[in-house]
Amino acid sequence: MNALFTSIGHNLFLVFGLLACAGAAVMILSTSAVHSVLGFLFSMIMVAACFLCLSAEFLGMAQLLVYAGGIVVLFLFVVMLVELTKYKEKSLFTTQIKWSFPLVLIALGIFAYTMKSNLFDAATPVALSLSSGLAEGLSVSAQNAQMVSRGLFAGFLLPLEILSVILLVALVGALVLAKSERVS
Amino acid sequence: MMTPVQQVVMAVIQITVLISIILLIVPVMTFAERKVIGYIQVRLGATRQAGGIRGFAAGINKLSWAMGRIPILSFFRGLPVFAADGLKLLLKEDIVPDRADRFVFVIAPVVCMIPAFATFAVICFYPGTLFVFPDQFPIVGGLPFTGFLTDINVGLLYIMAVGSIGVYGIVLGGWASNSKYPLLGGLRSAAQIISYEIPLSLSLLAAVVLSGTLNFRELSVYLAGVPTVTAAGDVVQMPLIAAVPLFFGFFFYLTCGFAETNRVPFDLAEAETELVSGFHTEYTGMKFAWFMLAEYANMMAVSAIAAGFFLGGHYLLPFGLQRFVPDGIPFLAEPSLLFFFGKVFFLLFVFLWVRATLPRYRYDQLMSVGWKWLIPVTLINLLIAAAIRFAF
Repeated sequence: MNALFTSIGHNLFLVFGLLACAGAAVMILSTSAVHSVLGFLFSMIMVAACFLCLSAEFLGMAQLLVYAGGIVVLFLFVVMLVELTKYKEKSLFTTQIKWSFPLVLIALGIFAYTMKSNLFDAATPVALSLSSGLAEGLSVSAQNAQMVSRGLFAGFLLPLEILSVILLVALVGALVLAKSERVS
Repeated sequence: MMTPVQQVVMAVIQITVLISIILLIVPVMTFAERKVIGYIQVRLGATRQAGGIRGFAAGINKLSWAMGRIPILSFFRGLPVFAADGLKLLLKEDIVPDRADRFVFVIAPVVCMIPAFATFAVICFYPGTLFVFPDQFPIVGGLPFTGFLTDINVGLLYIMAVGSIGVYGIVLGGWASNSKYPLLGGLRSAAQIISYEIPLSLSLLAAVVLSGTLNFRELSVYLAGVPTVTAAGDVVQMPLIAAVPLFFGFFFYLTCGFAETNRVPFDLAEAETELVSGFHTEYTGMKFAWFMLAEYANMMAVSAIAAGFFLGGHYLLPFGLQRFVPDGIPFLAEPSLLFFFGKVFFLLFVFLWVRATLPRYRYDQLMSVGWKWLIPVTLINLLIAAAIRFAF
């Protein structure tokens, strides 16, 4: 019994990773657009759970807040109001199959080769090990959020502020676009 | 060190106790809602399902009526109403509209309810061990039963992240019904919740800036104003002046909390006069009950967070004024579960009080209150908190 729980605990990352893949599959395969968004949402939540398994609490919570809580809601809004499934736009998504199929196969092959040569090859130059900086970061993961904020607001304050200006520009741009339409 | 089996069993026991408490409070709340609003509006509230009052009690009642007062016993009549309510919701026919999206229609109440309950996972009701299981118990003998489920270091982020998922239940429920009023209600509610999440987070951030931690337990102990020992061994205490941003932050947070839980005066999602019943117009039976359950659980979560952050949590005095209670006093100077639940119940009463008092906002008023007033004032509040943190 103990052994069972311990092994599940060790393999939780695998479990959540597979569930995330399942969510992604639902997103691609379902015919209803809203169901696709739901699959995407499920996938995002499971990715957050994966982060939690790697004891990156801050990243997991940020994933939930930003993706599951913010971006997917916007997707859902758009999809709900457009209702693609009702009309003949359906064919719009199937025109590119003959191009996408070989491309996906090539990508899959490259991905499988990289994975095999990096993880399972005997001749791998460096075995999978954490870089010294990452290992140090993991050892202070008890104050995960504090370390991230120290890095953001002390070490990299200027890049962060510049990034926020970019966001501001985007916001103002959106405002101008929405406004001008109404005036004319 | 606990074995994995013990960990799982303890977690299941604690979760069961917590959920039972929530599920016990919800029907009492629905009864209290009728009675409190009735009292405030000078009427009796629900009275029918009680049967007659006979004997001595009836004598007292008659006497009070004769004296021109509403008898106190009348306020407990109608108590079986909530049993009848539960039975009704269980037994009613479960209708799914013909053109509805069946899958989304069925999971929407679940999506609404899970985040509402999951919030309680990080809320600290008592910062230590409540009791220890006696050794006779088979698996959990000798283990402590703590006043909190988990003690994670990103507690506040967890609360905000889980809270932001709750909106899906409402939007999906409104969309899947395939009907005009629910869709409008769902969209309104989503816009409202997303807008008010910003000032809500900002008002909570003031507390985070003051205390320098995201852990709910450490936050509530620090913000109560009692001296605490950090991991480095220093003794820290909140400066007294910090009570000012906490005091204002409490009211900002409560206002946003009303909007987040879709309660009057911000219940635009289910405005009866405009939208029949909003996003749950097409829901019947237990599915509807789950929406209600989620709403009341959300109210309790908002109350518990407000109590833990701003009202001193498990200590007696709010806003960090606990320092004025001398150490020697036996009950008042110590943390207690009673204080925490007292504050939670008071805030739940405030929800009902406001519902009986204030009319509903118009939709544009709601949005301008959120964007033009609450966000600036919570930002200023955050700045004041940061200045205090910097200066002291």
